[in-house]
Amino acid sequence: MRDLFTPLAILSCALLPLAGCKIVKNPDPEAATTEAAGTTDEARMAAYAKDIWADKVLPVVSEHAVPLTELRAKVATEGLEPAGAAYGLRPEGEANPWNFAATGEGVIIEANTASRAAKLMVDTDADGAADVTLQLGPVIRGTALRDAMPFLTFTDFRDQIEFAKLARALNDLANAAITLPEGDLVGKTASFEGVFTLRNKGDAIELVPTRLAVK
Amino acid sequence: MKLTRRHFMSGVAVAAVLPLARPVFAADKGLIAIITPSHDNPFFKAEAVGAEARAKELGFETLIMVHDDDPNKQSELFDTAIARGAKAIVLDNAGADATVAAVQRAKDAGIPAFLIDREIKESGIAVSQIVSNNYQGAQLGAEEFVRLMGEAGNYVELVGREADTNAGIRSSGYHDIIDQYPDMVMVAQQSANWSQTEGYEKMETILQANPDIKGVICGNDTMAMGAWAALEAAGRTDVIVVGFDGSNDVRDSILAGGIKATVLQPAYRQAQIAVEQADQYLSSGSTGQDEKQLMDCVLINGDNASKLETFALTA
Repeated sequence: MRDLFTPLAILSCALLPLAGCKIVKNPDPEAATTEAAGTTDEARMAAYAKDIWADKVLPVVSEHAVPLTELRAKVATEGLEPAGAAYGLRPEGEANPWNFAATGEGVIIEANTASRAAKLMVDTDADGAADVTLQLGPVIRGTALRDAMPFLTFTDFRDQIEFAKLARALNDLANAAITLPEGDLVGKTASFEGVFTLRNKGDAIELVPTRLAVK
Repeated sequence: MKLTRRHFMSGVAVAAVLPLARPVFAADKGLIAIITPSHDNPFFKAEAVGAEARAKELGFETLIMVHDDDPNKQSELFDTAIARGAKAIVLDNAGADATVAAVQRAKDAGIPAFLIDREIKESGIAVSQIVSNNYQGAQLGAEEFVRLMGEAGNYVELVGREADTNAGIRSSGYHDIIDQYPDMVMVAQQSANWSQTEGYEKMETILQANPDIKGVICGNDTMAMGAWAALEAAGRTDVIVVGFDGSNDVRDSILAGGIKATVLQPAYRQAQIAVEQADQYLSSGSTGQDEKQLMDCVLINGDNASKLETFALTA
């Protein structure tokens, strides 16, 4: 299957640099995408993600980050839509869920670091129960990192495949940026900054950390 | 010359279409052509029905046509739509590459196209491309599949039609999850071209060569129905089957303890949104949206299958 798409990608990049690699319209990634052109979607998107990570992605997260306790209170009292309008980030279009950038600190209630989908459950409001799940990966659910970026627009990408590879590459970078101390993490304090998607008011918060310190 | 012909043809179109639509609806906004793959797949039928219902509510006449996933036939249908003076075309297309020229031809004739379900490989030609978030949906399906499989075992993947971007994106979404689990082993991966019959045949053959399979993940529901029928015929109802689409057929199978899960694409609503955007574009010159728009999918399993009806979840 994948083999079938590779020649297409190569063709569209080699013969139609303008149409096939629209992404070069964005500032900056030109060098990386040109260098990686002719390779797979995966490689091109990984190169692009690397280019934008420190200069564009992390600043957007920091700039929009709201204290998680404040955000949860707003959602609880006013609802998801007002909270989204005040703090959220999402692409245009019906049925697109809100994404939020948030910071927080709390006690690790539960840690699953053995799984491929490693997670920390953190209590940020000192009620003894976890209220946020930090997704450590390498299996990271969702596309929150990509969808929270106002400068990443689906129309600028060739198709869903390329756009999906970008989401995966950003998740991989988030995963790669995390280092955890050895030993049992339960009871330690985690401070974090990251993004999550919230589809419904009562849904569990599964945040993808872009910064995480455990002590 | 060109003008004369268009006037003549639109006269023909009015004569041909009005007697059918006038008595029931006060349709005065003109004609919307709704072109999809064959209605044999209830997914595409739901699109056509959803688009038609909304179009009539908004005061359009409709012309429903099917291209049977044949780009040549689709091209002829575009000629028909152009000849009959359609104001807009709502399209679920017959191939990401092959469709570009047809949509461009409609655009050159002044007819905007609003694409649903499947993308084309170019932007800037269609006015809207509203597609399900297949990657997100596939990841939901894959997570459920991995969970049902207990994170281990041999499995088969039935892939959709290769010319269709959705076949690739769903497969990619499945593997971005499944491949992270080293004990999940794919023993066969074949295309069954979205077809129930082919799903049945491919499953039969694969099962003979690989009797030790524990699960089958499919790129759509019709292939899942075919695979399930083959597994049932072989007495292998222990095999975990997961589909994609959210059809009533798979819903019924889930409720009867057959297929385990699927992923709902909001096909009915998606088709309606396309018509709404067409209406807005025709009256104001803009949809107010980006060209390419994603709509999230929802996991369907035993917990919520009873709420599913014609590609929509009831509250």
